[in-house]
Amino acid sequence: MLYRDALKKAMDDLMEIDDTIVLLGEDIGFYGGNYRVTDGLFAKYGEKRVIDTPIAENSIVGNAIGMALGGLRPIAEIMTSNFSLLAYDQIVNHLAKIRYMSGGDLCIPLTIRMPQGVAKQLAAQHSQSFERIFASIPGLKVFTASDSITAYYGLKQAILSDDPVIFLEHILLYSQDFPFYEIDNFDITKQRVIKNGENITLVSYLKMLHDSLQAVKEVEKVLGITVEVIELTSLSPLNLDLVYESVKKTKRLVVVSEEPKTGSFTSEIITKVMENCFYYLDGPPLRITAEDTPISYNRNLELFSIPTPDKIATKIINWGREHGL
Amino acid sequence: MNKSLAEKFYYYMKLGREFELRAKEEYMKGNIGGFLHLAIGEEGTHVGAILGFGNGEFFVHYRDHVYAIARGIPTKFLMAELFGKITGISKGKGGSMHFYSSSFNFYGGNAIVGAHIPHAVGLAYAKKYLGKSDGVMVAFGDGATNSGNFYESLNLAAVYQVPLLFFCENNNYAIGTRIDRVSAFKDLYKKAKDYMPAVQVDGMDVFEVYKAVSLAKEYIQQEGKPYFIEALTYRYEPHSMSDSGDYRSARELKLAQERDPIDNLLKKALKEGLLTKEFVEEVDKKVEMEIEEAVEFAINSKEPDLEELYKDIFCED
Amino acid sequence: MDYEITMPKLTDTMETGVIVRWLKNEGDYVKKNEQIVEIETEKAIQEVPTFKEGILKKILVEEGEEVEVGKPIAILEITKEVPVKTEEKNISEISKEIPKVQEQSQTVEEKITTEIPEEPPKVQEQTQTAKGALASPYAKKLSADFGLVLKELQEKGEIPSPAHEKDVREYIYSKYIDRDTLEDLKQYNLNIDKLITDLQGNLSKENIYRYIKKNNIYKLVDISIFQRRLIEHLSKSAVVPTFHIYETIYLKHIMDNKRFTITTYILKVFGDVMQNHYRTRIYYDNGKYRIYPSSNISVAIAIDEELFSPVIKNIEDKSLNDIQQQLQIFREKAQNRKFDPEDFEGGTFSISNLGMFGIDMFDAIMPYNHSGIAAIGVEKEDYVKIVFSFDHRIINGKDAALFVKELKERFYDIEYIKSLN
Repeated sequence: MLYRDALKKAMDDLMEIDDTIVLLGEDIGFYGGNYRVTDGLFAKYGEKRVIDTPIAENSIVGNAIGMALGGLRPIAEIMTSNFSLLAYDQIVNHLAKIRYMSGGDLCIPLTIRMPQGVAKQLAAQHSQSFERIFASIPGLKVFTASDSITAYYGLKQAILSDDPVIFLEHILLYSQDFPFYEIDNFDITKQRVIKNGENITLVSYLKMLHDSLQAVKEVEKVLGITVEVIELTSLSPLNLDLVYESVKKTKRLVVVSEEPKTGSFTSEIITKVMENCFYYLDGPPLRITAEDTPISYNRNLELFSIPTPDKIATKIINWGREHGL
Repeated sequence: MNKSLAEKFYYYMKLGREFELRAKEEYMKGNIGGFLHLAIGEEGTHVGAILGFGNGEFFVHYRDHVYAIARGIPTKFLMAELFGKITGISKGKGGSMHFYSSSFNFYGGNAIVGAHIPHAVGLAYAKKYLGKSDGVMVAFGDGATNSGNFYESLNLAAVYQVPLLFFCENNNYAIGTRIDRVSAFKDLYKKAKDYMPAVQVDGMDVFEVYKAVSLAKEYIQQEGKPYFIEALTYRYEPHSMSDSGDYRSARELKLAQERDPIDNLLKKALKEGLLTKEFVEEVDKKVEMEIEEAVEFAINSKEPDLEELYKDIFCED
Repeated sequence: MDYEITMPKLTDTMETGVIVRWLKNEGDYVKKNEQIVEIETEKAIQEVPTFKEGILKKILVEEGEEVEVGKPIAILEITKEVPVKTEEKNISEISKEIPKVQEQSQTVEEKITTEIPEEPPKVQEQTQTAKGALASPYAKKLSADFGLVLKELQEKGEIPSPAHEKDVREYIYSKYIDRDTLEDLKQYNLNIDKLITDLQGNLSKENIYRYIKKNNIYKLVDISIFQRRLIEHLSKSAVVPTFHIYETIYLKHIMDNKRFTITTYILKVFGDVMQNHYRTRIYYDNGKYRIYPSSNISVAIAIDEELFSPVIKNIEDKSLNDIQQQLQIFREKAQNRKFDPEDFEGGTFSISNLGMFGIDMFDAIMPYNHSGIAAIGVEKEDYVKIVFSFDHRIINGKDAALFVKELKERFYDIEYIKSLN
C-alpha cells in the first residue's frame, strides 16, 4: 500500500464512523492536498469537514485548538514542517500547555500532520527536520511514520488520542509502496525492532531508517557482523526499553537522523543510552546526521550534507574498525 | 437598565474591585507571586461584557480576574489559584494569568497577546458545526489588534461565518506604549469594519457595554456571523505589579478616575432609584466577607503534592 | 592518480566473488597484466591480473571476504616509477613478522583468580580494578567480573589500550584455554563464558570436548561458495521432468583390450554415439534449445568434500589418449581448485562414475540444463550397470531408447572398440 494511501485510509476509516473528526489545512480540500494525502476526502465529506484554509499556519493550528476545545477531533495538515514554525507559538505555548495550565480541566485531541526532511533540491527553507524541537516540548506527543503500517495504525492512534500529537511524515515516502497487513494491538509508543542482530544496535526513523537498512547490508558484509535495527515510532513519549535491551546485548549504538548534528534528537537518544547502559558499552556511540549547515539547492551539496546509504555504511564501518569491531 | 440588572452590575463590579485590591495587598505581602495584572478601573467593561453576553464560551487574555468573577466562578477558587494552592481553579498550576473552567465555559486566561483569538474562531466553528452554539466571545486588549493573530482571525471568522464576538477592551496602553504610537488607527473598531459589523462603546459605562454586547449577541446568534465591539476603558493600575506605570501622567489617571465605572453606576442608579443605600451597604459588607473568606480558604488550602508536577500533562498517561 | 580495482565478473553467472589470497602486498609495484589476487567464484579459483601499472596503494577487501561484482577491492596508484624500497617500509614489514607482544606473553604464566565471581561486582569495585585503564565501559566491567586489574595488564602489554570487550575476552579465554582449542571452540554453538563457569577449575582439552559431547553442542560451519552454488543448482534440477532407463552394458571387449581407464572408454563411446543423436547435444537455455555440434560431456570429479563437473569437449574428434590426458588435467585443476570458466561451459550430457567405489548401481541428479546423465556402476564379470536419467523437456522416451540402444550395440562391436585403441 502506498504510504500516502495508508495515511488517507487512517483518516477515512475514522471519519466514516466519527462525525467530529474534521480536517483542515492549506490546499487539502478541493485541491486534494499538496502531497495528495487527502485526495478524494473533500468530495466524500464536504467542505465543512475537509476545510481549506488560507496560507496562515498560525491560524490553522490556533483554530484547530479551538475546534478541539469545542468538541471536535481535528486533524491539521501543515504542508511541510518548515512552515510549522509559523505556528510554533500555537504549538508550544498553547497546544502543549493548555491542559496543564487548566489543571487538567481541558483536553485537546488534535493531531497535526506534517512531512519533513530533505526531498530533492528544495533548498534551505523547504528541507528541514524538526523532531528535536517538537519532542523536547512537554505536553506534545510526537509520532513518526516510516512505512505504511505506522502511517495507518500510527495515525489512527494519534487521531484517537485525546492528547495533542505531532505526526511526522517524510516527504520522500509518500509515493513509496510498503507492505501492509493487519496488526492487532498496535501501539506506536512501543517502538519496533525491524531486524535482529548481535553486534551493533542501530536506531533510526523516517527515511533514514530505510537508508540505514540499506547501509546495514554493506556493514554486515564488510565487518562480518550483524546489526540490530530499531525504529523509533514515538519520539515522545520516548520509551527506549527496546533500545536498552538491545544495547546491553550488542554493546554498541549507532543513531541515524536527518537533522543537523548539533542538538539533534540523536543526542537525546545517546544520552539516555549512556545513562542507562553505560557499563555495557564497548565503544563510543556513533551519531550519523546531516551537517550543521542549511540545506543547499545544489544537488551535490545537498547530498553531501545529509546521510546517504553509502555514507552511513562507510561511517559505521570506519567507526567499527576504530573501536574494536 | 432595571433594578435587578443594576444590582448585579454593582455586586460584580464591587466584588471584582475588592478582589483585586486584596490581591494587590496579598501580592505585596508575598502571598501571591509571578505576574499580577489588575483590571481596577476596567470593571465596567469586564462586567458589562460578561453579563451582556450571558451563556456561551468565553476566551480572554491574562487580565482575567474580573471576567471570571462576573462569570460566577466563586472567588475562593480564584484567590486559591493566586495563592498557588491545589484548590485553585487551575490547581495552582496556572496562576493569575491562567484561570480556566470548562464548566463555566471559561477558556482562559491566555498570556500570549492575541494568540487566543484563533482558538475562539476554531471553537466557534466547532459549535456551529455541531449545531449547538450560544455564540462565542473573545476578549483582547488594544495591543492585540496589531498582531497577525488578530487579522488572521478577523479574516477567518468572516470566511467561515462563525458566531463570534470580538470584544476589544481598549485601555489605551499596550504595557507602556500608548496605542496611537504603534497603531495606524486610533479607533480600533475601524480595523474590523470591512470584515463584520463593528462598533465603539464607552467602556467606563457598564450599562453601555452591556447593551452593546447584548445586541451583538443577538446578532451573532441570529445571523451566525461575527461581530466586533471596541470598548474604551482605562486601567488605574500599571500593566502589572512589576510595572512602575510612569509612562502616563497623574492628570491622565485622575481624569479617568473621575469617570470611574463603579462611581458612575452608583451615581446614576441611586438617582434613578435602581439601587438603594441599604442595598449598597449590604453588598459592600457581603463582598468584604466573601473576600475575607476567599483569602482564608486560600491560606488554609494545601500546596499541591509534588507529584502534581507530573499530572495533567496528558489526558492519557 | 588512483585507480580502483574492482571485483571482476569472471563468469556469466557470477554475482559475488571471494578474495582467496592477495598475491601482492600494499606498497608493491605491479606491472600491467601481473597477477595480483586469487578470486574464488562459484565455479573456480582464478588468478586475476591488474590492467594498469602502478603501486598497490590499499587493499580494501581482506582475504576470505566475499564481495559483489563491481565493488572496489583495492586501490592502485597509477605510476610508472618503481618505488625504491625505503628503510621505513622495511621496518613496517618486519614489524608484521614480529609476533605481537600479546602473543609472546602467552608463555608467561599469569596468576589470575580462577574463581569466577557469582555476582558482577558493584560499580565501585569495577572502577577500582579498572582505575586508570583506557578501556570501553564494558571492557572494564568484564575485567572486573573476572577480577583482572586492567591497568596492570595493559602496562605489561597483555591487553591493548584502549581495550574493548574482544581484547579482554581473548585475554581471559587464553588464560583458561589453549589457543588451538579456543579457535576450534569458536565454531561451536557455545557460550564460552558459560563453559568456563561450568567447568570451573578443569578446563583441559579432554574435559572441554567431553562437555561439548555431553551437552550435545553442535558445530556451525559455513558452506563454501562452491557448495552453495551446487546446492542451488541441484535444487533447481529437482523440478526437471526426468525419466530413467536402466541398462546393462557389455564391457568384455574393453576389458580384453584395456589400455585406458573405463571412464575414458565410456566417454569416448558416448561421445561418438551422441553424434548420431542430436537431442543428447542439446542444452536447455531458458525456453530455448542450444544445439551443440560436438559431443561435450561433463564428468563429475570429487575432490575432498567438493564436487566439480568440468566438460570434455569435442569427444568425437578426440583419441582415448586425448581424453585420458584431459581428465588428468581436470583432476589436477580440481586439486588446486583452479579452473578456467570455459572448463565448465558447453556440456550437454553428464557422466558420473561411482563404480570405482564398488557401487553396483545408482541414480544421479542431472544438471538443470543437460539432456541427460549416465550413472556408471562397477564393472562385474564384464558387465556394468548404467542408470540413465533424461530430461523430458529435451528428449522423449523413444529418442532416448534409440540412443541407449546404439550405445549398447557399440560396446558389443568388437571392431569398433578395437579401433579406438
